[in-house]
Amino acid sequence: MLTSVLKPTRLPFQTRGLSARLYSTRKSEINSDPQKDIIRRYLYPANIRNKATPTGTWRPDVARALQRAIPSVQAHEIIERAWLLHQRHLRKKREAELQRKFECMKQAMQELEEIDSRLFREANKQEDPRARSLAEVEAMKSMSEPEKRAVESRVRGLFPRELRVPADTPPKNGWPFEWRAFPRPLA
Amino acid sequence: MFSRTVLFSCKRAPQACLLRGLATEASAVSAAPEVVHVDAALSKKTARPNLHTGIILNRSPIITRTPTAFEKAYYAYQARIHRALHNPFPYEFYFKQGSPLESRFNIEERRRERKAFGAPFGVQTGETSEAEKLAEATMRDEEEAMPRIHEADIHSDFKHLNRRGQRNLYLLLQKQENGAAVWRFPQESVEKGELLHHAATRGLEVECGNNMDAWIVSRNPIGVFHPPSPVNVDSAEKNAVFFYKAHIMAGQVRPNRTRAQDFAWLTKGEIKTRVDPDYWLGIKDMLSDF
Repeated sequence: MLTSVLKPTRLPFQTRGLSARLYSTRKSEINSDPQKDIIRRYLYPANIRNKATPTGTWRPDVARALQRAIPSVQAHEIIERAWLLHQRHLRKKREAELQRKFECMKQAMQELEEIDSRLFREANKQEDPRARSLAEVEAMKSMSEPEKRAVESRVRGLFPRELRVPADTPPKNGWPFEWRAFPRPLA
Repeated sequence: MFSRTVLFSCKRAPQACLLRGLATEASAVSAAPEVVHVDAALSKKTARPNLHTGIILNRSPIITRTPTAFEKAYYAYQARIHRALHNPFPYEFYFKQGSPLESRFNIEERRRERKAFGAPFGVQTGETSEAEKLAEATMRDEEEAMPRIHEADIHSDFKHLNRRGQRNLYLLLQKQENGAAVWRFPQESVEKGELLHHAATRGLEVECGNNMDAWIVSRNPIGVFHPPSPVNVDSAEKNAVFFYKAHIMAGQVRPNRTRAQDFAWLTKGEIKTRVDPDYWLGIKDMLSDF
């Protein structure tokens, strides 16, 4: 992925030999809005393709910066290979863990099928997100508005909103220990 | 169809399959006791075990994993390369000229250049302007993010849910079994006619209290465990525990004192040290490694 950036890119076929036309520049007008110029320059970059970079310019000291960044071509390739190997190790570990978990689940379902066919059938039922069980409907009749919203917001078969995505630092208030006991009707 | 019936009848009584087409009253009566005998033998082997549901209550990771030294070095390396090669950033479009935000960005950018490439890069040209001095002052006074290690880690408080933010924590209850204190996942027996996932929700409420926002993931069990039957009980009685995965999102466990003396939120490695070897072998594949 990155090695392709280091190789020089070819000019696209169509622009070779055509006269250059810069739509982004204008004859200097004394009362032209500088803000509009800035926006125009950003939205419509120059389309002369006479540099190695496909979209714009490099930074002015690109050669010096690149020399500092990369030790050598061989070292760069070795680093890339080491990274891909590391990713492969992680991937294999993850897949092995998932495989073990799946085997456990398969074993459990096989045994359940042998033990009781009704329980097996019920366990295999597809959850309909819009369905409401009888117990839920009964319980919702005598609930306050916030409680009704709490029941409706938890859709069966979907992950709940409260299951947080991990961040780089923990939340300021820590774990939410204060939680009002809410008896959820059986799904 | 005819072949299937022949095979079926052959399983039950080999002699009868030949006489199937010519079955009379007398042969039917003689076949019946053998059939009954075979059925009884089959049912003795497959007696229905007592069903229980166990809950694997999981607190998911709160913070992302710390990258290893290699990963950190690689990310820094890639960042340097991208910084060397990227197209010029349109500063004028994003920052109004002379604004404090622009000065702050310039300061931070010079620092990043210096960190990426070393001494000659990121050198400041000219004197610090008023705006830059203001920006530096505000950067000093800014509040920092929360630390990744909680005090529960330092004191090894196994009941606290902020401990080990990167790992998956699982709930274990300390119960009395035949006089000995053992650590187990919360468990409850299934009533007659009850569905397994309903038994799981009920069991969680009974054993751990309802002071927590717990969500059972699906109707399917994720694993099964056969506890070894004790010596003094009749050997024909068997038990099967079907485990269900649940997530806790808020609140804390309040264990039922009659059923469990203690509770702990443990990682997979810590569970291994506390639990019996047989139980560990039965449950280890259901848990997440990290």
